[in-house]
Amino acid sequence: MSAYLIIFFAGFAGSFHCIGMCGGFACALGRDPQGRGATVLRHLLYNTGRLTTYCFLGGLAGALGQLICTPQGTTVPLLSGSLDTGQRILAILAGLLMIAMALQFFGLLPRLHRITSGSGASTFAASLRSLLTAPGHAAPLAFGVFNGFLPCPLVYAFAAQAASTAGALPGFLTMAAFGLGTFPAMLLMGGVGRALAPAWRQRGVWLAGSCILLLGLVTVGRGILPFAVHFAHGWTEPA
Amino acid sequence: MTAQDHALCSHCLLPIGRRAMRRTVNGEACAFCCYGCCIAYQVKHGKTEEWEAAWLLIRLGVGGFLSMNIMLFSLLLYSDAFSGADAEMLPWIHLLLWLFATPAVIILGGPFLREAWLHGMEGRLTSSALIVLGVGSAYLYSAFATIEGSPHVYFDTATMVLMLFTAGYYLDAAGRARAARDLQPLLAAESEWATVVIGDGEYRRPVREVDAGVLVRVRPGERIPVDGVIMEGESHNDEALITGESRQIAKGVGSHVIAGSINLDGPLLIQSSGVANATRWAQICRSVRDALIRRSPSQRLADNIVGFFVPIILVLGIGASVYWARHLPFDRALLIGLAVLVVACPCAVGLAAPMATSLGIGRLARHGCLVRDPAALEALARIGLIAFDKTGTLTSGQARVVAIDSDGTSADVVLAHAAGLERHSEHGLGRAIAAAAAARGLEPVAIHDVRVVPGRGIRGKSDGRIVAAGSAALMRELGWSLTPNLVDYGRRREASSHSVIYVGWGERAYAVLSLDDTPLPEARSTVEALRRRGVRVTLLTGDLPAAAVRIAAAVGIESGDIEAGLTPEAKRAALGRRRHDHGMVAMVGDGLNDAPVLAGADVGIAVGSATDLAREAAAVVLPSGGLRTLPWVIDVARAVRATILTNLAWAFGYNLIAIGLAMVGVLQPVLAAAVMAGSSIIVVLNSLRLERLPEPAPSAAAESAPAPRSTATSNQKAA
Repeated sequence: MSAYLIIFFAGFAGSFHCIGMCGGFACALGRDPQGRGATVLRHLLYNTGRLTTYCFLGGLAGALGQLICTPQGTTVPLLSGSLDTGQRILAILAGLLMIAMALQFFGLLPRLHRITSGSGASTFAASLRSLLTAPGHAAPLAFGVFNGFLPCPLVYAFAAQAASTAGALPGFLTMAAFGLGTFPAMLLMGGVGRALAPAWRQRGVWLAGSCILLLGLVTVGRGILPFAVHFAHGWTEPA
Repeated sequence: MTAQDHALCSHCLLPIGRRAMRRTVNGEACAFCCYGCCIAYQVKHGKTEEWEAAWLLIRLGVGGFLSMNIMLFSLLLYSDAFSGADAEMLPWIHLLLWLFATPAVIILGGPFLREAWLHGMEGRLTSSALIVLGVGSAYLYSAFATIEGSPHVYFDTATMVLMLFTAGYYLDAAGRARAARDLQPLLAAESEWATVVIGDGEYRRPVREVDAGVLVRVRPGERIPVDGVIMEGESHNDEALITGESRQIAKGVGSHVIAGSINLDGPLLIQSSGVANATRWAQICRSVRDALIRRSPSQRLADNIVGFFVPIILVLGIGASVYWARHLPFDRALLIGLAVLVVACPCAVGLAAPMATSLGIGRLARHGCLVRDPAALEALARIGLIAFDKTGTLTSGQARVVAIDSDGTSADVVLAHAAGLERHSEHGLGRAIAAAAAARGLEPVAIHDVRVVPGRGIRGKSDGRIVAAGSAALMRELGWSLTPNLVDYGRRREASSHSVIYVGWGERAYAVLSLDDTPLPEARSTVEALRRRGVRVTLLTGDLPAAAVRIAAAVGIESGDIEAGLTPEAKRAALGRRRHDHGMVAMVGDGLNDAPVLAGADVGIAVGSATDLAREAAAVVLPSGGLRTLPWVIDVARAVRATILTNLAWAFGYNLIAIGLAMVGVLQPVLAAAVMAGSSIIVVLNSLRLERLPEPAPSAAAESAPAPRSTATSNQKAA
């Protein structure tokens, strides 16, 4: 459970960093002329769309992890049992990837950012713009769904974490926790606009980086250390 | 076939085959080659204010939302998250999935159903029919299974197949549109606009409505829409597309500008000199457009195969289901049939040839090399022998003084007299004489009362004496004597196919000037480059053997490979004989008098005077001075052919293997859909490798100029 909390916090902190891209969308989504209730609904739908995509990616990554670890496709205990070799390798890879992401958040790996949020993102985003101003409730939902697919290092980091859980359900829960973590900042952005001071964003970056680093180290540890079985048991079993 | 069957896709600019989709976007009638291009175009060009583009995205977004949720629940089902104690929840989960799947199938499957229906009404089976059949059976089976309480439903398969196809088509279309970048300026021309200045006002007018005499404003970075003369402003122009020379040309008031060139750095006011439709630029555009619409042999082959591909797949898919139903539970057998239907979309096969061909044609056109028939491009790749015409093709077509045979008088005195006369002449030979005098630093003799004697020469007066330069007939006309020596010199020079001019003053001719064409500076390197590519080079000329041998030696063609003194018909016959030994043969000529032989070759290439696109006989037209691009054109043609072959090999190989795997039941339908979507993207990516071919070798002129290519390209995009 505590692992999901960390993920939630990483999502929360990371969403301040990601205000550059997603926050801009939330702002652009703006207020509904029909009043406060309609505005809240609009933003909730947008975020639900985003959450759906994150959950889907998480479930898919988890299922893929499961597929890699157990060729027979049978169930895998949610990290409460012993880890097999495939899962260990997967955990180490995912952990290393997350550590790399964290270092990039701290500005220590500048080149990675270009790879993770390439030029494709901007063209994709540009073609979605017409959705922002479209009327109706389906528009913000659709926009959120597409938004979830926008290349973003945070999403990659947690998709990797989801894959290392080697199960559709824990993968789904991982990304759901992450997605829910991004809710407060996004809703805030929709309501208050660009009110957040740059200093807060910087703090968010450090907090998110720390969370991802911690998770990355734990994940790598789970793959390497023999006692990690017990360690992981306490960390990642969902409530 | 009507005109609309010969259109190009509004989005990716590939020729539309037999499956056109018509939509109105922003009030403009558009035609698309596939559903992917249709969505991509609407997303990209639909106006924000207008509901349609957003509506499309909303449908895709909501469809995605639903199908992702379905997939998520199904993943949880597969991982047995609902096993054991939660088993009694299964029917409710199935019901939930059904609830989500129904709108998703309607939203995402609608366009496929519509297309399948439209084509079905025309009696044609297309890949949409396969998708509709596959998805429909998965959905209906799952609905029954939910009602009956069977353990397995396949709503995820139905929706994910639709989702993957939609996404795959979209990505595919995006890649193809990127490939069409080179073609965009060529094909957009007809809908291009010009800023017309009337009085104090500026108005946007379609280019085709701009008449002669009208003032047109062109901003930096814009493409010049009409031929004309600059009235105001200074700038540099890039005329690469028209002349084949990639360098910046300085232009000022009074300079002529050509439609299709790019105004690089200064605003210009231009007075249009001709109707826009008649410009060479418009001709190039039409030519490229026509070429794209024509089908190459490999494209026809692919089209024919695709034609009966779908019915066969339908039979195979249903057959597989029926066969497996006897050995497996019904739902497993159904899935196998579904996988066969889904995996066997022939899109990649249909895309293999046109994609590579249009990339090649676009790439060549950007350097002014026009391919007017894709079949010629494919033939050019297999060419074994290239025959050259001499004058105007391997030579500049411009004369040069090669000898001065005088009868006792100094050559310089003769040349000074001749140059004095020819200063007043516009004749090509006259210019050559003036140039020769200037090269020797001679001061032309002052001559007045100059008169041109048509067909004979030129005459004038100096210090009361008559001075004349021209044919022997002119000398006789003047009553001047020609010494036997002089006559002898003249005959000998004429025998080696030189043009001769007698020069004299007072009462007699003193000397004979011999002039001849010079080989183009790039001719030798071109011949060498062709030989390095394994192409045999020959010279077929109507000129006398002596001249042919001299030019051949100068450009590096062996004496065994020369045939001289041929009429155009004889040239054609000579080329025909060579076809036996060398397979495909090409003829390079300047197009003026070579029409029969250009038409008779497998590939006719017009060069030099190719500015006139009316030379219908040639399938390939190189710009003036474009001889040096010939080896590069062959490289591009070969790369295009190689790409088509690998594309076809991949598309067929993939289909055969994937259908085989699907029929034995190894390939899951969702995986099949993902693989299928990937397959045509691979064809697109493989074709895009053509973009990485090196540029043609620069001409001597372009080398000395500051490299403008990058600026030109970026401006081209801006324009």
